[in-house]
Amino acid sequence: MGYRLETHLDKDLAPFGGETFNKCFNCGNCTAVCGLSKEDTTFPRRYIRYMQLGLKDKMMESIDPWLCYYCGDCSDTCPREAEPGELMMSSRRWLTSLYDWTGLSRLMYRNNYMHVLLMTVMALLVFLAFIVPSNFGFGLLAQHPEAMETVMLEKFTPVETVHLADWLLAALVSFFLLSNAGRMVYKVMKGQKASLSAFLTQLPRLIIHGVSQKRWKECDKDVWKNWIRHIFLVTGYATMFLLVVVFLQDFQVNDSSVHFTSYFGYYATAALLFVTMWMMIDRLRMREQSAKKSHATDWSFLILLFLVALTGILMHLFRINNWPMGTYTMYMLHLMADAPLILLVVPFGKWSHLIYRPIAVYLQAVKEKAREQRVGAPSLVTG
Amino acid sequence: MDEFKKRYDGLVIGGGIAGMQAALDLAEQDYEVLLIEKDPSIGGVMIGLNKVFPTLDCSSCICTPRMAESVHHKNIKIQAYSEVTSIRRHDPGFKVTVRKKPRYVIEDKCIGCSQCELECPVDVPHEFDHGLGARRAIYIPHGNAIPQVATLDVDHCTFCGRCAKVCPTQCVDYTQEAEDVEVDVGAVIVTTGLNITPMDAKKEYGGGHLINVMNPLAMEAIQASNGPFGRPLRPSDGKVPRTIAYVQCAGSRDHTIGIPYCSRVCCMYALKQALLLRHYLHDVEITLYHMDIRAFGKGYEQFYRRVMNEGVNIVKGKVAKITEVENQDLLLRVERLDEGGRLEERRYDLVVLSQGLVPAWQGKGVLDIELGDDGFFKSISPKISPVLTSAEGIFVAGVAAGPKDIPDAIVEAGAAAMEAAIHLEGIGYREQVLTASQS
Repeated sequence: MGYRLETHLDKDLAPFGGETFNKCFNCGNCTAVCGLSKEDTTFPRRYIRYMQLGLKDKMMESIDPWLCYYCGDCSDTCPREAEPGELMMSSRRWLTSLYDWTGLSRLMYRNNYMHVLLMTVMALLVFLAFIVPSNFGFGLLAQHPEAMETVMLEKFTPVETVHLADWLLAALVSFFLLSNAGRMVYKVMKGQKASLSAFLTQLPRLIIHGVSQKRWKECDKDVWKNWIRHIFLVTGYATMFLLVVVFLQDFQVNDSSVHFTSYFGYYATAALLFVTMWMMIDRLRMREQSAKKSHATDWSFLILLFLVALTGILMHLFRINNWPMGTYTMYMLHLMADAPLILLVVPFGKWSHLIYRPIAVYLQAVKEKAREQRVGAPSLVTG
Repeated sequence: MDEFKKRYDGLVIGGGIAGMQAALDLAEQDYEVLLIEKDPSIGGVMIGLNKVFPTLDCSSCICTPRMAESVHHKNIKIQAYSEVTSIRRHDPGFKVTVRKKPRYVIEDKCIGCSQCELECPVDVPHEFDHGLGARRAIYIPHGNAIPQVATLDVDHCTFCGRCAKVCPTQCVDYTQEAEDVEVDVGAVIVTTGLNITPMDAKKEYGGGHLINVMNPLAMEAIQASNGPFGRPLRPSDGKVPRTIAYVQCAGSRDHTIGIPYCSRVCCMYALKQALLLRHYLHDVEITLYHMDIRAFGKGYEQFYRRVMNEGVNIVKGKVAKITEVENQDLLLRVERLDEGGRLEERRYDLVVLSQGLVPAWQGKGVLDIELGDDGFFKSISPKISPVLTSAEGIFVAGVAAGPKDIPDAIVEAGAAAMEAAIHLEGIGYREQVLTASQS
């Protein structure tokens, strides 16, 4: 089977941050210095070679960028300063945009104006939803003057309405995310002879790696800091997700009383605020290789997440101190920040890696299992 | 020439192979030359080499005649163990200050009998053996040293007085001090040569802490018959190495250590050392890891083929990591590009880092001439007249101008001598000085 050479691939990759691949002279230092590179899955050099040759199809079939956790060792030691770590990062953005069938992802990554515009539109739509209808938000509030005296969230955002919206959103986002993930699996496994049993037996890996991200410990560099941050972020967000999507009836308290679910909320807020600030400071200091270059989408992700957590906790504080107008305004701002995060960043943006990365680890194991079944060789993939 | 005059036609800074050649070529044209060397002996890097590529001539066998010729030439004054501390333009030439470092031995009286050396109770790692052998606190650097006089290493001396007592000519003088001498010269040739990339430049290669990771000059020393071990043994335990790896571009073509240029000689010296190790040790397995082999000179490609044919493994792939394992053996990790990018981890008894060449001297505070981006002295006309620097009357040759091998350094030294002679004629240096002294 032949492969098509894309002669203008460099122009296509540039907006994603992948500009330095032509500096590479293929010495193999990056691959050999990487602790995650194994005998039969070697990266990043091989992938960078694809970039140089314009082998777009090969790049799309490859999961290599998802196997990299960007410790920065390769960039630190690259004799050509070709920044292999950053090339893997930009390739993840590029792949994200190609897995997405709607084209929204590509639009956001390639065009900063569209990126900001889409997010603003999303926030404005939420704003309108609070202003325009008479049975929700400020429209509903106008009919209940008593809710201006003391906090009565039922008279501002009825919990059934919000819960229904949550479920709709969750369904929509899952649809986009899963269909994109399906495209990823199709592209990667197309032409690979893998039996159903290979897919099924390796399924636990998907869960284990998604939750624990334990491949991180195979990095040679001491990356506990990054691992801890991710664990905080994932557990914090997962807690919040469960509170809002599943337990909203308990979590959204009508008056200024404190419910025990708040304690889970405190953990999630602390984790999210702490980690997003930490990551933003790192990106500003630009010390580590992984923080040296920031794409606009890296920033929007961190800023939105930070704002969501901040408005959330402020709303909570205003509510328990019985300041109605503050509570209602924060609620609205909270959702205005949350909508672009959930609808754009999760399925089409940076946060989609929460599903692509475990799938990559899973597919690598599936391929290995399939090969093992074919030739009966022992597995070389560990962990 | 023995006495130190007030005026010379040419000053050559650096007594390596290029400096000696430049001095000889000027002297042969009847110019009087002062040759300054910072070390106790002239000879530079070349006198410490075992053999030279691609002819495999014995290095000292072709370097020592040059040294002897220089020191015995009637028009050359060699001032070793001295440094140039200032060069000021003083029409028509330059006024130069030379600092004679104290040897604590009266040079003219020392007969090089080695009595002091044999008597001295202090052992010190020997620079000439790259720390693998020892010398005394008072020592003659090596058998071929010129001048063949002792130098007292005051940092390690215990002032026990035994050397002074045993010296048959009473030339040990503990009270000697540095002496500054001023001379007038008409032209300057800079041949200050090289250092190799520091062994601690790359932490991935052990940062200089792994005993069985050698620098290439130390490997030259242990291959040489007059070397510290007399034959190639590994430093940690004196075992005859059975597996040896060469890591190419360990100190060049690497932006992370600030040396992006190719040092030009590493491929060839590594091939040469590998071939000779095959000859000396017979059943040794040698692998040379490279990014690409640059065998560019006359006869070099043929030499490369020969080395391959004689059983040295040539592997494409840059070594990324060297880690020490049991027995102080070394584990190398590399992506083998010659085998489709297979990752390889292999254990070796001994590893040689093919370190690159960096300038030994950049003239800081002494020579106000431009440096290139690579840190070597810049040639203002690299194609047509590569020995010209940004200062009129100052010429550069050898590795001081950029990495090069011995034949190229010698050719360039000749060219620098020729340019210096043309310059001296052009300004009428001798006539001017003569008129000045008469009026």
